[in-house]
Amino acid sequence: MSAFANIVAGGVFHAAVLFLVAAGLQLVFGVQKIVNLACGSFYALGAYFGITFIGYAHQFGVSEWLLLPGLVVSGILLGFIGPPIERLLRTVYDRDESFQLLLTFALVLMFEDVFKFVWGANPRSLDSGYLIYGTIIAGDFSIPVYNLLVITAAIAVATGLGAFLQGTNYGRILRATAENRAMAEALGVNVRRIYAAVFTLGTVLGTTAGALVVPTAAASLDMAIEFVIEAFAVVVIGGLGSMRGALAGALIVGLIRALSIVFYPEFEVLAIYLIVIAVLIFRPAGLFGRSLA
Amino acid sequence: MNRSANVLIALCGVVALTLLPLVAPAYYVGLMIPVYGYAIALLGFNLLFGYTGLLSFGHGMFLGIGAYGAAIMSSKLGVRSFELTLVAVMAASTLIALPIGALCVRYIGIFFGMLTLAFGMLFHSFLFKFYYLTGGDSGMRVARMTILGLDFARYNKIEFLAGPFYYYCLGLLVITGLVMWRIVHSPFGLHLRALRDNPLKAEYLGAHVHRFRLAAFVISSALGAAGGAVLGFRVGLADPELVYWTQSGQLVFMAVLGGFSNFFGPIIGALTFTLLQDQLQSLTEYWRFVLGAILALIVIGFPEGIAGLAGELARRRTRSAT
Amino acid sequence: MSVLLETRKVGKSFGSIWVLEDFTMAVGEGEFVSVVGPNGAGKTTLVNLLTGLLEPSAGEVLFMGETITGVGPVELTDRGLARAFQLIQIFPRLTVKETIAAAVISRQRKRWRLFSRLTGDDAVDARVKEVAEIFGLTTRLEHIGGTLSQGEKKLLDVASTFALDPQVILLDEPTSGVSTGEKHGIMKTLIAAAKREGVKGIVLVEHDMDLVAAYSSRIIALSEGRMLADLPPDRFFADPHLIETVIGKRRGH
Repeated sequence: MSAFANIVAGGVFHAAVLFLVAAGLQLVFGVQKIVNLACGSFYALGAYFGITFIGYAHQFGVSEWLLLPGLVVSGILLGFIGPPIERLLRTVYDRDESFQLLLTFALVLMFEDVFKFVWGANPRSLDSGYLIYGTIIAGDFSIPVYNLLVITAAIAVATGLGAFLQGTNYGRILRATAENRAMAEALGVNVRRIYAAVFTLGTVLGTTAGALVVPTAAASLDMAIEFVIEAFAVVVIGGLGSMRGALAGALIVGLIRALSIVFYPEFEVLAIYLIVIAVLIFRPAGLFGRSLA
Repeated sequence: MNRSANVLIALCGVVALTLLPLVAPAYYVGLMIPVYGYAIALLGFNLLFGYTGLLSFGHGMFLGIGAYGAAIMSSKLGVRSFELTLVAVMAASTLIALPIGALCVRYIGIFFGMLTLAFGMLFHSFLFKFYYLTGGDSGMRVARMTILGLDFARYNKIEFLAGPFYYYCLGLLVITGLVMWRIVHSPFGLHLRALRDNPLKAEYLGAHVHRFRLAAFVISSALGAAGGAVLGFRVGLADPELVYWTQSGQLVFMAVLGGFSNFFGPIIGALTFTLLQDQLQSLTEYWRFVLGAILALIVIGFPEGIAGLAGELARRRTRSAT
Repeated sequence: MSVLLETRKVGKSFGSIWVLEDFTMAVGEGEFVSVVGPNGAGKTTLVNLLTGLLEPSAGEVLFMGETITGVGPVELTDRGLARAFQLIQIFPRLTVKETIAAAVISRQRKRWRLFSRLTGDDAVDARVKEVAEIFGLTTRLEHIGGTLSQGEKKLLDVASTFALDPQVILLDEPTSGVSTGEKHGIMKTLIAAAKREGVKGIVLVEHDMDLVAAYSSRIIALSEGRMLADLPPDRFFADPHLIETVIGKRRGH
């Protein structure tokens, strides 16, 4: 029983990380209708930079207790790449979707070599233990407190985003722009600034997720292109453009991954993609998405 | 660009390529075979993308079927004829593409892209799941086969590739080109383009939306398999990397680089990309970055690709002449 | 006189809202039936039901005596029912010649010809030139759809529909977006073309009552999803109450 609980805990942790990236994807797709193939690259960037950042922090004698906040800060710092990349994507907004996909694919290619250039071809990992925060043990069940903190952070982000989008004026403006850009513009909304802000937020969510994951996994060159698969599975299963969908999709994918790693390792990608295909067949809008096809 | 100009250029191209082995070093001649393989696959891909308007991000899957099919035929089943292998992989690809396509063509745009990506990655995971058959990460060996029933045993690998096999592949490309040219300029081809431009109107003018898209999908899959078989044979190995989504992305890259609105664009794209990648790889280990930058440049500034640029230049020249 | 296109107590609901109810009409050989009514009356729904884009929630739609439920647009055009759209529908990247050819290919049952050359096909060529001439598009044959003027696009939309050689043509506001001067010109071209091409029945959905009065053999009025009247023009226009409902209440008194 507790073995199962351990697996589920692991799955939920992975789901938390997935949710953060997926939330960013959903925001960007919902408001700007852009499918960002480079989301995995942002994730990997966050991971690599997080390692470097913490490394420097330790060199300057920063306490190991500040690991989690430090990683979060490193993720947010990377947000500065958001605006210039958005500016680049702006050149193909009004064109066919294929071009948007291709432009983000070009970014994937470029980022791959940026990682290689800055951090080398070998995987990097954080040598300080995240077990600094201790572990909660109950019989055979154990979960590192770090994982719990990340899960809590993800839940906080989820509720925060939800409240922001539904409850605040800015959130309403975002939703209006997502529904009808022309109308929003006619009503005086500075769509350009909104697009830049939304894309930056999406970027930060992705980079922070990557940073948060490094205590438990190594950063490698393959990370970016492998992660895209999972992120897209989440978004498709949950429904394009839906925050609730990001949450549901992340949980489903996270748990499947955790379960299959233990029982049927080869089935991991298989299972996820069979579900993606099933969703696309029977409910193409995803669990929570609006019908788009 | 008018039709006869196109044909003239194509003819010149074929002549130049025929003479290539006599003037160029064996290395570059050998490099042309993957170009031919990709070109064949891309002619099919572009039927789907340029002419029907459907962007597939999982097309690598069919190249994989071709390569692995060739491996199975030659290594496991002991088949010696490459022609038989070609027929077999094209048939296999058609069979597999029918149900997948039937599902995917109900959607367009981003959903079609995602569905094809999903199926591509599903196939990729199958290759790893059945690693005892497919060799998993290391791929599967493609044994040397006879072409046109001839063994060419006295040629070593390099001579074979720069000689008989070069002309064989060039021949395959020419045949593929002729067949595709016919298809594209047929009544069916016109309906495909109508479907691309306005599916609603096209349907009310008598074009079967799903059936025609499925036909285009299946044709493109068969050509993808043929190209994959050529690639597999050339390298002697069926590589799972061929099926990964980034490889499918690379196919799109080649099509857009060459110009997807032009019949010859895919061929130009295959050639340019391969040469570019080869040169860049010898210049820097960060060649992916350069390629990515080039793709970005094309998408932003030159969406019609090289063929489009050439056409534009030709138009300007004739305008200034009159 | 044989009935070509008819509905029998057809109705359409979206959820619990009935957009069209208990609608029975028939178009016979040689008839020019106009469907009029204020916005929201259900005209578009009727047209979509008649052409198989929507499935009836009640009743049935019959073409040539056979039900069209489940019959797709392609099969329907093969059976002889063609439709032109209200919002201009053309192919932005195809030439005028190619657009008309697309219809001719369907008519000549050549749609599955993968390996025959289209350019050398005299049968297709001749017919395309014929249709282009009827609609005055001969000088525009090599022009790309996207570069045409609004009026020409409209003509092309209708011309390509005619090229299908249908028995019954359904025209959904064919003169909307066209200047008043051009309207009568287009209608006259359409009717002359119909006569020449052997179109046996025309259904016209229109707002412009002048056109309706000038060309219809019968007028059907729709209001709030129900049929108000099904009368020949002289009796239709003799009823002031009817006209008021269809055109809309006058302001003031």
